[in-house]
Amino acid sequence: MKAVGARVPRYDGVAHVTGRTVFVEDVEIPGVAWVKALRSPHHHATITKLDTRPAEQMKGVRAVVTAADVPLNVYGHLSALGIPGDEPLLADAEVRYLGQPIAVVAADDEQTAQAAVDAIEIEFEERPALFDVRKAFDPDAPQIHQWGNWYPHFEAGMDRRQIRKGDIDAAFAQADVIVQGVYRPAAIEQLPLETQVCQVVPEANGRLTIYSCTQALYFSMGVVAAHLQQPLNKFKFVGGTVGGGFGGKVDTATETLCSLLALKSGRPTKWRWTREEEFLCSSTRAPWHMEMADAVTKDGWILGRRMITLHDSGAYARFSPYGVTKHAFHHTGAYTIPNLHFDGWCVFTNRTPTSAMRGFGVTSVSFATETHLSRIAEELGIDPFELRLKNANRIGDTSPNGVVYTDPSTVPTILAIADHLGHELPADYRTMTSEPRSDGLLPEHLVAQVGNPEDH
Amino acid sequence: MNLNVNGRTHEIESPPLTTLLDVLREELGVHSPKVGCEQGGCGACTVLVDGAPRRSCLLPVAALDGAEITTVEGLGAAEHLEPVQAAFVHHYAAQCGFCTSGLLMAATAYIANGGTDDREAIAEALGGHVCRCTGYVKIVDAVAAAARGDEFDLSVTAAGLFTTTMSGGAA
Amino acid sequence: MPAVTDVLLPASPDEAVAAFGDGSGVTVIGGGTIVMPDITAGRIRPARTLLLARAGLAGITHEGSTVTLGAMAPLQGLVDLPAPVGPCAGNVADLEIRLQATVGGNLCSGEGAEAPRGDLQGPLLAVGAQIRSAGSGGITTEPLEDFLGHRRGRLVLDLTYEEPAAGAFAAVDRPHTHAYTTLAVSAARTSDGTIRLAATGAGWWGIRLPSAEAAAADPAAAGAAALKDVKLHDDALASAWYREQALPVLVRRALARLEES
Ligand SMILES: Cc1cc2nc3c(=O)[nH]c(=O)nc-3n(C[C@H](O)[C@H](O)[C@H](O)COP(=O)(O)OP(=O)(O)OC[C@H]3O[C@@H](n4cnc5c(N)ncnc54)[C@H](O)[C@@H]3O)c2cc1C
Ligand code: FES
Ligand code: FES
Repeated sequence: MKAVGARVPRYDGVAHVTGRTVFVEDVEIPGVAWVKALRSPHHHATITKLDTRPAEQMKGVRAVVTAADVPLNVYGHLSALGIPGDEPLLADAEVRYLGQPIAVVAADDEQTAQAAVDAIEIEFEERPALFDVRKAFDPDAPQIHQWGNWYPHFEAGMDRRQIRKGDIDAAFAQADVIVQGVYRPAAIEQLPLETQVCQVVPEANGRLTIYSCTQALYFSMGVVAAHLQQPLNKFKFVGGTVGGGFGGKVDTATETLCSLLALKSGRPTKWRWTREEEFLCSSTRAPWHMEMADAVTKDGWILGRRMITLHDSGAYARFSPYGVTKHAFHHTGAYTIPNLHFDGWCVFTNRTPTSAMRGFGVTSVSFATETHLSRIAEELGIDPFELRLKNANRIGDTSPNGVVYTDPSTVPTILAIADHLGHELPADYRTMTSEPRSDGLLPEHLVAQVGNPEDH
Repeated sequence: MNLNVNGRTHEIESPPLTTLLDVLREELGVHSPKVGCEQGGCGACTVLVDGAPRRSCLLPVAALDGAEITTVEGLGAAEHLEPVQAAFVHHYAAQCGFCTSGLLMAATAYIANGGTDDREAIAEALGGHVCRCTGYVKIVDAVAAAARGDEFDLSVTAAGLFTTTMSGGAA
Repeated sequence: MPAVTDVLLPASPDEAVAAFGDGSGVTVIGGGTIVMPDITAGRIRPARTLLLARAGLAGITHEGSTVTLGAMAPLQGLVDLPAPVGPCAGNVADLEIRLQATVGGNLCSGEGAEAPRGDLQGPLLAVGAQIRSAGSGGITTEPLEDFLGHRRGRLVLDLTYEEPAAGAFAAVDRPHTHAYTTLAVSAARTSDGTIRLAATGAGWWGIRLPSAEAAAADPAAAGAAALKDVKLHDDALASAWYREQALPVLVRRALARLEES
């Protein structure tokens, strides 16, 4: 444990400052073919014609791959957990977001690859598209996904992530004030400086060597193997040097298609997305629609929270159900609210599929909770620090999903912030600790609900 | 046409409108300048052209006949780091490292032109560079330290807010 | 690697003018900060390009009160000029772009729904610059104002203006160096007391504000009058509504700064 609390020199620091760090695109592979994608120009459309022959016949084009070439085209990011897939690797009949890949080309150089993509003949019939997660949830919204407009495969076939804790009706009956709020953080692009990139080399022994910028190497390997319907021992992934990811490189964006093209052409392939593709076509952090209503006493105890969350999954599910699950488990933030009634849905729209970004699913609700708590404090005329300290997680409290906190950090963190800002607090708050609430500080209505800390 | 890159002259064969960035990376195998956006927006490709910091993704190579190009490969190697390189290591100014080459070249030009440890002046000089990892504070710390002429023992790193200066390698 | 067939690299202004001819089928590359990304990405595939890098058009001269800016003068070379030109040039992008971006390219940057990029148009209109350009009909000199309406098909050679007795520049602050200027107002007062005002970001390219000029004695009235001179638009930087609120403020600020200087 020598490293804990110490300032350890970065193992890669000197390599970074001498230009010796080898990122994916810095691997020189002789004869590597460039990859470009034909992407949907529409948010939602039926593909009525697709003819790749003009591209295939061009000089310098080594391979063209469409949905028909993919051994298993539809495979979900959560399929390894037994959840059915919804997203095709390459669109065939239908496109559901602007930038969705339809065909990929490998050619001798970047210009030829792009010219070949431009030569592909394709026609569409546009369909209505949905961009707002709340409107997509309306019962009369156009249906845009084969599963309906929201994800139906949570445990036990439920169509939402649901939390019920305590007695929500009693909490609202006891409340002096009910504070409501709607919070809608927008999509954010992770924006790593290194765009999505990979290089794939078909080796003489029949295996593929894949230089990947993935943040999730073994996961990506599983995804590639599944689409290609090949055993894992056919792939050698070389990773570890990521030019920034921030969650955006958890999805397997380039490796599978580059592998298919390498196999079909017999040539090494390389695909680096342009900055424009990265912005328009790579997954983003989701937009969310959160509605919360808190049952509050005059002196600032939050007795209960009712909440519904609509998570914008974009056109396909990817990891969204996982994000909503984390969101649900953290939906009270760093605070303990004894009575909860939460429903969270993964709603489909025609936006770029959304995915992980730094605190997947949690940052949205932290933002909502902190804003909401400040509003409650304002409404009650209570110091926002005192309100937070009152409701802070304590040892023995339970999270929304029933995990018992053994070492919560809310109280010391808020006290540190108050110190840092020079914010004055009354003595009984200043001396608060994470120890279980004493009877003196435990309001009567909570005694019954939180129970005797000794029992935990 | 010719380019002098880090002291060596090369005859260039790429077509005339190829960007300097592509010539360096694809023709000459000089990989420290990075492809971040190819539109002048990030600074990952910045190199020195006749001593001035330039975005190599915006420069058609035909306009550079006879120019002297300096990249990170032309700064110090691991055993002989320039102060600004050592400062980046010491101050944790590189995380993923993708923006680092461009920033080092901009910082090198800033210091060579007499730049001081004034944080605002540094921010102004490096203002075109995007770093998504570090939040810039440590980058400015590093450039200021190098501009001041601080000396660094790379087995010891900069002190943090809550931790002391200590090397993980020490017994 | 762009597959361009024909690249012309003139070594003098005369060679540049000859190579440009009547301009048909020629794509000019000044600093390239706008054109090069388009070529690299294959958005434009010019058959013939004219690289001005070595054409000797980069001079900046000060003779008495007459300032001449070569088309290839880098914007960084302008930042120490008096207001409104200098502060405006210093407000463009960051140091590295300013070392690369040229005056000619700035005046000829594409107009339209794209974010406005010709920041220098405003101050150069305010100082009443004359622009010298080549193309069909030979070399002509005209007010920048006339040129901006028809600039396609001309090769900019240089600009000349008389340094104003006083100048001022006021812009909506940029959040960072990559943000284009949302809206800016330039003001200049000649030695005979005439005030000229121009805006960037209040139309598809830089425009004079004649109604505001007429009301210049009363800054508040001038600010309100400026709205009559413009057709404000929504773009990625700001809504027309926002610009409507900001324009009078900037006109007032520019006039106040003109008073102070
Ligand atoms: C990161 C970044 C930030 C930027 N920020 C700003 C900003 O804040 N404000 C701003 O105004 N601009 C900004 N720009 C845009 C651009 O850099 C400037 O407008 C610059 O002055 C354009 O000049 P250039 O010489 O590079 O143009 P080029 O790319 O060479 O040319 C632009 C256009 O003008 C034509 N052209 C060039 N020279 C001539 C000539 N002599 N005669 C006739 N036509 C010519 C070209 O054919 C082309 O159509 C920014 C660009 C980048 C990459
Ligand atoms: S790659 Fe040149 S500025 Fe981004
Ligand atoms: S260290 Fe990763 S972008 Fe700067």
